[in-house]
Amino acid sequence: MKQKADVLQGTLALMVLKTLDVLGPLHGYGIARRIEQISGDLLAVNQGTLYPVLLKLEQEGAIASEWGASENNRRARFYRLTRAGRKQLQAETKDWEQTATIIGRFFEAKPEDLS
Amino acid sequence: MKSLRRFFTRLVNSAARRAQEERLREEIHEHIALQTEENLRAGLSPVEARRQAMLKFGGVEAMKQDYRAERGLLLIENLLGDLRNAARSISRMPGLAAVIIVSLAIGIGVNTTIFSWIQMILFEPMPAVSGAANFLLVEPRTEAGGYPGASWLEYRDVQTQVPALRDVVASQMVPFNVGERGHTERTHGQLVSGNYFFALALKPALGRFFRPEEAERPGTEPVLVISYDYWQTRFRGAPDAVGQTVRVNERDLVVIGVAPKDFQGTLVPLKFELWAPATMAPALLGGTRDLEDRTIRSFSLIGMLRPGATRQEAQAEFSTAMAQLARDYPDASAGIGGDILPFWSSPRGPQRLLISGLAILQGVMLLLLLAVCGNTANLMLARGSTRQREMAVRVALGAGRWRIASLVLSENMLLALLGTSLGAAFAVWGTTALRVAPVIGAFPLLFPTRVDAFTLAFAMLLGAACGLIFSAAPAVHLARLDVQDGLRSSSNTPPRSRARRVLMGVEVGLAMVVLIAAALFLESFRSARQTDPRFRPEGVLLAAYDLSGRNPNDTSEREFAARLLERLRSLPDVEAAAIATNVPLDLHGIPARPFTVQGRVRTQSGQDRAISNTVTPGYFKVMAIPLVEGNDFADMRDKAAPAQAIVNEEFVRRYLNGADAIGRRLQTRAASFTITGVARNSVYDAFGEPAQPAVYFSYRDRPQDQGEIHLRTRSANETALTSEARAVLRDLDPMLPLYDVRTFSQHIERNLYLRRIPARMFAVLGPLLLGLAAVGIYAVVSYAVARRTREIGVRLAFGATSGRVVLQIIRENLGVIAWGAAIGWVLALVISGHAIPKGGVDLPVFIGVPAILLAVATLACWIPARRASRIDPMAALRHE
Repeated sequence: MKQKADVLQGTLALMVLKTLDVLGPLHGYGIARRIEQISGDLLAVNQGTLYPVLLKLEQEGAIASEWGASENNRRARFYRLTRAGRKQLQAETKDWEQTATIIGRFFEAKPEDLS
Repeated sequence: MKSLRRFFTRLVNSAARRAQEERLREEIHEHIALQTEENLRAGLSPVEARRQAMLKFGGVEAMKQDYRAERGLLLIENLLGDLRNAARSISRMPGLAAVIIVSLAIGIGVNTTIFSWIQMILFEPMPAVSGAANFLLVEPRTEAGGYPGASWLEYRDVQTQVPALRDVVASQMVPFNVGERGHTERTHGQLVSGNYFFALALKPALGRFFRPEEAERPGTEPVLVISYDYWQTRFRGAPDAVGQTVRVNERDLVVIGVAPKDFQGTLVPLKFELWAPATMAPALLGGTRDLEDRTIRSFSLIGMLRPGATRQEAQAEFSTAMAQLARDYPDASAGIGGDILPFWSSPRGPQRLLISGLAILQGVMLLLLLAVCGNTANLMLARGSTRQREMAVRVALGAGRWRIASLVLSENMLLALLGTSLGAAFAVWGTTALRVAPVIGAFPLLFPTRVDAFTLAFAMLLGAACGLIFSAAPAVHLARLDVQDGLRSSSNTPPRSRARRVLMGVEVGLAMVVLIAAALFLESFRSARQTDPRFRPEGVLLAAYDLSGRNPNDTSEREFAARLLERLRSLPDVEAAAIATNVPLDLHGIPARPFTVQGRVRTQSGQDRAISNTVTPGYFKVMAIPLVEGNDFADMRDKAAPAQAIVNEEFVRRYLNGADAIGRRLQTRAASFTITGVARNSVYDAFGEPAQPAVYFSYRDRPQDQGEIHLRTRSANETALTSEARAVLRDLDPMLPLYDVRTFSQHIERNLYLRRIPARMFAVLGPLLLGLAAVGIYAVVSYAVARRTREIGVRLAFGATSGRVVLQIIRENLGVIAWGAAIGWVLALVISGHAIPKGGVDLPVFIGVPAILLAVATLACWIPARRASRIDPMAALRHE
């Protein structure tokens, strides 16, 4: 069970970083909406799981947060990517692409390739 | 790096918990508001929009938990929470907490104090010397098993012939008369080998230590190292002390250095002030032949093992070396072997004696601590059972068993910690108080005990162990609690706790053992004090003189003693005067000497030994020991009479089967004597000792360089003789100080000092333990009774008299107590049988202690029982 949560958290973190990279500072709800829009049902059920991930990233220094005004002019916490976060994103993107390539090759492999 | 950063942020977050919680709440609120708005825009009704938003967000509490786990350090936070909780719950029971903390503190304090002594003797036997416990004693041993010490030449041989030992050090204890004529002061010092300070790895507080060449040729540079205390008191710590001359035994010695603080020599607990090179011996001791005569065994040797060598190797090499010496020098070394002994088992000094006494004391005190733990466990258990409901609620709300146990544990550990801290404070105080021992006998003693990190670690360990012991029962009890039961049952109908009753029994049993031990000890101490020593100490003044600095011979010693006695006897207030080498009831004991006696039929192998004391004529008159047969020794100046000995009655009974002793020949290793008298038995080593065989030799035949002057006064006040005695000695020899002047009664009191410490400990701790046991029983019974209010109400309503109710409650509890007491009693009987094999059973103690304990226990049961029986049955029934 823990393993699954970790995987989810790992991918979620990457999604958060990428979202902030593309869209600039956003509040929690905004991030959740974007991820939902892009990833479909991954976050459809439990948007709440986003917040522990945001906290973890913030504590690692990948993102920073500050109070600001939301669209309806209420106080909201805005998250933005830091320089360390950008570096982390690049590194993890590379990792992901590598992993994805390898896994892709495995799936494409035919019995005669492996023998 | 990243994880480190995360850790610190978490640590900070743990502290700033409230602000963070607020922030999350706000974020969640905002999130849901935004989602609701969007849902509204999608055309949902306001209520439905909010419901959907919340559904989508997911379980808020579970998320919060995740968030918190991510944010802070859960374990530490839980622990802090538990501690806060514990502190709160302790502050709600101040009386109970005070009893627990103080009793623990006393138990731990006493144990730590005793441990600091054991630690000092075993692990840090020489203050200021690191790794002193690694030193081994290198002791030549006679056939009779005595340790006579080593001669200087022997030391030189051992240095080269025992390669397993490095840096063997020789030292000799010498009394120094320091100062100018007429103003001499007696100070103790050591004559040491040149490598002494080097081998002990000491750094001088000032100046330098001996150079090797200063301890090579006899009578070389006259140099002196002084102790730190001596430097502080005599030179007021002045830096120019180095280079000054001090007149020692009428020789000028130059101070070259100051020993480090706390260093007191290598014969702990003796405290030395001066150190001079051994090669100065002839110059300082009036031309003694110590350095060239192999029969003068005046040095003690210690050494450390070379890395990689074992004690067995050292022992084998030493034995070989001694065997070779015995062949080479049969006159001096025939029959002398050798032992390598651990430092604490020194045949000189009280360490060995102390360590066995301390071990027993520590054992008893650990039992006492265990009884305190039992008591505490019981109190906590009784308290815990009133919290069953609270715990059941916690479990129902999702607390795990482990959380419950840790809650209880943290509460108890906090109590243990408080108790330990207070106990450590007690120990620091106790150790300091005990260290300030009065001067015992002729030599200044200083026990370098202290509470250090090691001792504190011991205290902490004890505290933690106590905490665990008395947590175990309540924690298990509460963790096993059935939630349904706990919630359903009101606090008034608890299940009976067997654990509590068993604990009560165990506690009473332990209390019984400790109390009997304490009573036996006190009883033996008290009865010892009241025993007739069989001599009369009242009205006797003691004082010592020492001619060893004069390198006297037999004639001069005999002549000095004779003249001294003549002068003293001529004083108007002196009824009788004598000189002896040993004073009975001395802490250091009186030596026993092997001998053979004419007409003795030996049945076992081994040697006959008897206490031996060398005395002048008149000794028996001063001591008021009657001679049952024969006469006193011949006059000091009598040259015609043969060498004489006087034996005591026990000697005649044991070695001569009661036959006539007068006229028989008695042979020691050195000489032969004729028995001329039989003295009555008296006490030699300790009050209440079994009769010991003793031989008295005459100063005339065996003159000594040291003597204890015994003066019996005509008037009531023996101390009045002090100044007259001083004047007499100054007249005879202006350079000779009279030292260690004390009345015989003072002598006895001082030497009982070490036995008085445990006696006092027991005298205080015994009643305390009794009180604790009473509190424990009282608590258990009153809790049990309070929870049976309804039952008691029913009984009373059905016509039981309150007397019957009281009786029943007492009977129930006393049953358990009696079991515990009986087991403890038998245990104490077995232990005392082992500890005092021939002592027999001390009936007053073995009957009196249980009687008192049971009386107290009954009272402790009776008070709560009576209170319960007084209640109004109607009130009790309506109680819920």
